[in-house]
Amino acid sequence: MASTPSKSQILSLFRSLLRTARDFSDYNIREYTKRRTIDGFRHNRHVSDPSSIAAAYSDAESQLQIARRQVIVYSLYVPKLKSVMEIKHA
Amino acid sequence: MASRLHSSRLFQTLKTTSHTCRLRHLSTATAAAAKESYEDADGISMKGVKISGRPLYLDMQATSPVDPRVLDAMLPYYLSSYGNPHSRTHLYGWESDLAVEKARAQVAALINASPKEIVFTSGATESNNISVKGVMHFYKEKKRHVITTQTEHKCVLDSCRHLQQEGFEVTYLPVGSDGIVDIDLLRSAIRPDTGLVSVMTVNNEIGVIQPVEEIGNMCRELGVPFHTDAAQALGKIPVDVEKMNVSLMSLSGHKIYGPKGVGALYMRRRPRIRVEPQMNGGGQERGIRSGTVPTPLVVGMGAACELAMKEMEYDDKRISALQERLLNGIKAKLDGVVVNGSREKRYAGNLNLSFAYVEGESLLMGLKEVAVSSGSACTSASLEPSYVLRALGVDEDMAHTSIRFGIGRFTTEAEIDRAVELTVQQVEKLREMSPLYEMVKEGIDIKSIQWAQH
Repeated sequence: MASTPSKSQILSLFRSLLRTARDFSDYNIREYTKRRTIDGFRHNRHVSDPSSIAAAYSDAESQLQIARRQVIVYSLYVPKLKSVMEIKHA
Repeated sequence: MASRLHSSRLFQTLKTTSHTCRLRHLSTATAAAAKESYEDADGISMKGVKISGRPLYLDMQATSPVDPRVLDAMLPYYLSSYGNPHSRTHLYGWESDLAVEKARAQVAALINASPKEIVFTSGATESNNISVKGVMHFYKEKKRHVITTQTEHKCVLDSCRHLQQEGFEVTYLPVGSDGIVDIDLLRSAIRPDTGLVSVMTVNNEIGVIQPVEEIGNMCRELGVPFHTDAAQALGKIPVDVEKMNVSLMSLSGHKIYGPKGVGALYMRRRPRIRVEPQMNGGGQERGIRSGTVPTPLVVGMGAACELAMKEMEYDDKRISALQERLLNGIKAKLDGVVVNGSREKRYAGNLNLSFAYVEGESLLMGLKEVAVSSGSACTSASLEPSYVLRALGVDEDMAHTSIRFGIGRFTTEAEIDRAVELTVQQVEKLREMSPLYEMVKEGIDIKSIQWAQH
């Protein structure tokens, strides 16, 4: 099994997830992915057992792959109108 | 590595071309329909309403968006693994069957059941039909009586009405003003020939949670099968068939961020409950529900259930906080706001409010940037006030002005704030125009007015 991921690897994964989240064309999915990533990593902040860290890291990695694929799928079917939340209102 | 670079380049080209794909050739049928709606860069006009953007979605009880993780699990079964799970002779069938069985286990895990007790159907409506009509038809020699409540979903009530036409007897129990059924009343209604008790776990219109554990215990004690419609409860509150002592449970896919068109029915094996199948055919799903099991949909439902198990606590905390924010935001600026249904025994994501001195249809028409509903989607076609609110004893005028706010996993704080702002604005505008409200402000008691006959 892979050795425990280093702090920089974890941070890099965190940033990749946030960057991928930004690319979602749907307002709700975009906000959810950002929020869930931040809350998910924050929740696991104090995990110290190496196998739990490795498990959480690989779980986040697979979530990143899913997110990357879905960003492409969502971008293929962007509705013509944006959500009212994305339109600046007076 | 290479695939990642390729997909990102593909993604870049798509970003630029997607905006040019606006022109579409319409068939004559759609061209006729399109005359009633048009879209341009500023907005969309449909059914006489012009809005500048897609409304913010607060109607989670009607349906929920498909979670991208669920879609990701489903797509392979539309693209390459498209086999029929009942084909026994080739890889396509085998891999499809594996996927269906995996999904079955995922659904079973969420409700603490065995996979052998899960039957996939086309939705909670079908599951409810099988439960109510199937059970009574099977035991029709000895059991002629069904007990249900007045606030059940239309499919349960309609199935009961169908049974009544066939000669069975049905007791529709009333509920309290908080929407909760009275256990003692239920106990006294049970007869020796009662074949089924059906009480939904979470109501779709008002969001109250029925005391299913107590009802289940009592039904087991008295030896009566207990069916519950858990479509709105699944994945939102902990649902455990052992704790609830249910014999039958209806589950729905599209309420838990899964696809539409799929649901499941839990049927207890010990003690075994038997039903007469409503769909006859090749004997799939243990003969209970014939027909090819739709692999992609079922995989989606399984993935949604697994996600729900992981995310239930996180979602619940967020949604409760958002509900508080919504209610407090509205109550801070408006008076005459009533919450329909019990405040304590309620699922946080469903908030049904009545606004006094305001007409419901006009409020909904004014809230065009917020997607909400009054009552349930099933009954919104008719102009009658919701039968659920009537069963709660809500006055006709308050029942007409009820709005149901549905909060879900993807709802943001900004959306809640915007919904509060728009609702308050609209209600104030309507009240300003309302002569009834003027009279109330002057201190006249509306109920004491003698309306003159012309």
